[in-house]
Amino acid sequence: MRLTFPSVEFDDAVAGICHGSATEPEMRALNELLRGNPKARDEYLLRIELHTRLASESELFSQVANAAASDPWPELKTGSRQRVLPPNPPLRARRPRVAQVLALAAGLLLIAGGVWALWFNNSTSRNRATSNAVAMLTRTVDVKWDPRAAPPRVRGALERGTLRLKSGLAQVVFYSGARMVIEGPAELELVSSMEAVCPRGRLLLEVPPPARGFRLRTPQLNVVDLGTSFGMNATPGQSEVHVFKGKVALVAGAAAAAKRSLDEGQAVVVQGKGQPRLMTASTETFTPLFEFQERSLASEAFRYEQWQFANAKLNQDPSLLVHLDFESRGSTEWTLHNAADRNRAVPEAVMVGCARAEGRWQEKLALEFQSVNDRVRLAVPGEFNGLTLSAWVCIKGLDRPFNSLFMSDGFDPGTVHWLIRDDGVLGLTVFGPVHGKFQILASPPVISLATLGMWQHLAVVLDGKAKQVVHYLNGFPVSRHSLKFGPPYRVGSAELGNWNARSGPNPAPELVRNLSGSFDEFALFSRALSDAEMRELHAQGKPDP
Amino acid sequence: MSADSQHRFEDTTAAQQQFLSLFLRSEREVFRYVAALVPNVADAEDIVQQTALALWEKFESYDPALPFTPWACRFALNKARQWIERRQRWQALLDHGLAEELARRREELQPEFDRRLRHLEDCLGRLPNEQRSLVEGYYYQRTDIDSLAENSGRTVAATYKMLQRIRQTLQRCVEIRVQPEAS
Repeated sequence: MRLTFPSVEFDDAVAGICHGSATEPEMRALNELLRGNPKARDEYLLRIELHTRLASESELFSQVANAAASDPWPELKTGSRQRVLPPNPPLRARRPRVAQVLALAAGLLLIAGGVWALWFNNSTSRNRATSNAVAMLTRTVDVKWDPRAAPPRVRGALERGTLRLKSGLAQVVFYSGARMVIEGPAELELVSSMEAVCPRGRLLLEVPPPARGFRLRTPQLNVVDLGTSFGMNATPGQSEVHVFKGKVALVAGAAAAAKRSLDEGQAVVVQGKGQPRLMTASTETFTPLFEFQERSLASEAFRYEQWQFANAKLNQDPSLLVHLDFESRGSTEWTLHNAADRNRAVPEAVMVGCARAEGRWQEKLALEFQSVNDRVRLAVPGEFNGLTLSAWVCIKGLDRPFNSLFMSDGFDPGTVHWLIRDDGVLGLTVFGPVHGKFQILASPPVISLATLGMWQHLAVVLDGKAKQVVHYLNGFPVSRHSLKFGPPYRVGSAELGNWNARSGPNPAPELVRNLSGSFDEFALFSRALSDAEMRELHAQGKPDP
Repeated sequence: MSADSQHRFEDTTAAQQQFLSLFLRSEREVFRYVAALVPNVADAEDIVQQTALALWEKFESYDPALPFTPWACRFALNKARQWIERRQRWQALLDHGLAEELARRREELQPEFDRRLRHLEDCLGRLPNEQRSLVEGYYYQRTDIDSLAENSGRTVAATYKMLQRIRQTLQRCVEIRVQPEAS
C-alpha cells in the first residue's frame, strides 16, 4: 500500500489514526509518506492537533466552563469550598483521573500521611462545573421513552437535545421558567432554556413573565410566546395552536406576511405550506394534559403506599438496627422514632436544627440539612461483623471538602465515616483496631451536577467475612474494595448529615462536614446485605415506578 | 487522631500537593504532546497516566527553577516509546525516527496552531445541531461509538465518517477565519 498527498486515502488514514481504527498497512504507508513529504507531515500534525484539542479542551463545549475560564485550575488549598463538580459520570467512569491513580500508587507512602492528606490530595483533581442543561424533567405519568436513548430521570437535568416520548405524559420545566407538559408519541428538541422545536406531538405550555419570548417551532409554525398558556398539536403535515390565556405572536411557514398575533380563545391551524386558518380555541384535544397534574399526584400517592407496605416487612428484620423514616416522631418534638421493631437498643435519634422538607413523594416528609449546626445524633451500642448503611438523599450541593452522610464521632478504633467528597466520590473510612490506623475506600465520582436535586439511594456495605466494602448508587454497586481490617466494627455515637470531630470549640475548616441536602430515609443493618437485597431495597423505595 | 498529629500529616504531603499542582497545570500540554504521537484518545490518556506515575516517582530530581512542562514531556516521550514498542501497528506508524520528527516539528508549529485553532470554539458553535451534538458526544461526553451510532441511526462506520467530515468542516472554518488576519 502506498499513500499520496493530497488524496482521499490520506484523509481516511489520518481519520483512522484519530479513531484508533487504522490498519497496520495504512500506518506503514503513512509513515513512509510523512517522512518523505513535509507538506503532508504538517497537514497531518494540524489535523491531529485539532482532534486532540477537541478531546482536551472541555471549555469548548460549555458556556458554564467559559465563565470560569479565568481560573483554569482550582487551587490546591485544603479546606477549599468550591462547588466544583465533575461532568457527567460516563466520562468519569471511563477516564480515571491521574490524581486518583497517583493516590492509589502512592497509597503505601501516604498511609502514614493520614486521612486528611489522602482525601485532600485525592480531591484535588477536579474539573470545572460543566453543564449543557437547559431544563429539568419534573414529573411523568405512565411514560414510555424511545428505547434508543437512555431514559431521562425524573428530577434530572435535561441537556440540549431531543426527547422522544412513545407514550405517556411528561412535564419539562425550562430554566427560563416555562413549563411544558408533553404527551407521547412526541418529539421535542430542547434548543435552549428559551427555545424548543416540536416536530410531532401534543403539548401544553405555560410561560410566566421571566420566560416571555419563549419560542416554539414546528415544521409549519414559529410561535413566540408573549406570556400565556397555550396548547400545540403538531404532526409532520399540520400544526395547531390554541391560546387559552394571554397572547402569542406567530409566523406561519417562511412568509413574513403571515406574521400575526393570536389572542385568548383563538386558535390557528396550518396545513403544509398553506395559509393559516383561524378557529376557536378548544380545550378538548388537551384534556389529558390538563388532567396531568392530578394523575401525576395520584401515581405518587400509589408509590408512597407501596413503600409504606414494604417498610412494614423491613422493620421486622432482626438485623435492622436503626430505621429512620423521618415521619414518626419520638417521645418529644425533637426526637425521631426508630422504626426497627426488633431492636430496641436505639430507641430514638435526636434532631439538632434541621428543617422539614418534602420527601420523595409529596406527602412524604424529609429532613433538610443546611447549616453547620444541623444534625441528627444517635448512639448505637455493640460490636458487629458487618454493617450496611443505606439512605435516600437529595443532595443540594457539595459545599464542603467532605460532606457527611453518616459518621461516627471522632476517630475511634473500629468505627466508620461515610461521606461524599466535593468531587462526587462516595467514601467510607474504616478505622483499624488501633489508634491511627485506617483505610479509605473511595468510589469513582458518581454524584454529579446532573444528579443534584434528585432523590438518590446511596448505600455502603462493610463485609467483615469477605473483607470487602461495596459502594452502591441506586441499587447497583459502583465500586468494590478489599478491606484490610477485620471485625469487630462499631458505630458508637454518630451523626447523620454532620460530624462531631471532638476537636474543641473552633474546628479547622476541614473538620466542618455538614451536608447540604435532605434525608428522607436512613437504615443501618448489623450485617452485609447482598447485591440482590440492595437492588430490592432500592426498588422498594424509588420515587417513580 | 488529634489536631496535633494532623498538622504533621499535612507537612508530609506538601511535596505531593506541590507535585499535583504542577502536574495538573501541565496535564493538558502533556496530553497533547502524547496525542501527537498516539492520537487515539483512550490510548493517549493511558500513556499520560503512566507518565504521571513516573513523574511522581522521580519528583525529587525535579529542579523547581526549571519549567515543569518540558520536564514532564521528556518523561511522556519515554512512556510513549515504551507503549509503542509493545504495539506493532503503532510501531509501523512511528518507526524510522518519525516519532521524534513529529514531536520536534509540532513544537515549531505551535504558534501557528494556536493562531488557527483559537477560532475553534466559534466554528464549533456554527455547526448544525446534529453535528455539534455528535462532536460533543464523542469528544466531551466520551460516549462510546456504538451508542453514538445507535442513537443517530447510523452504522459505526458512517458515524466515524461523519466525525471525519465534521473535523474537515471545522478545519476549513478555522482556516477561513485566519486568512483575513494574514492579509
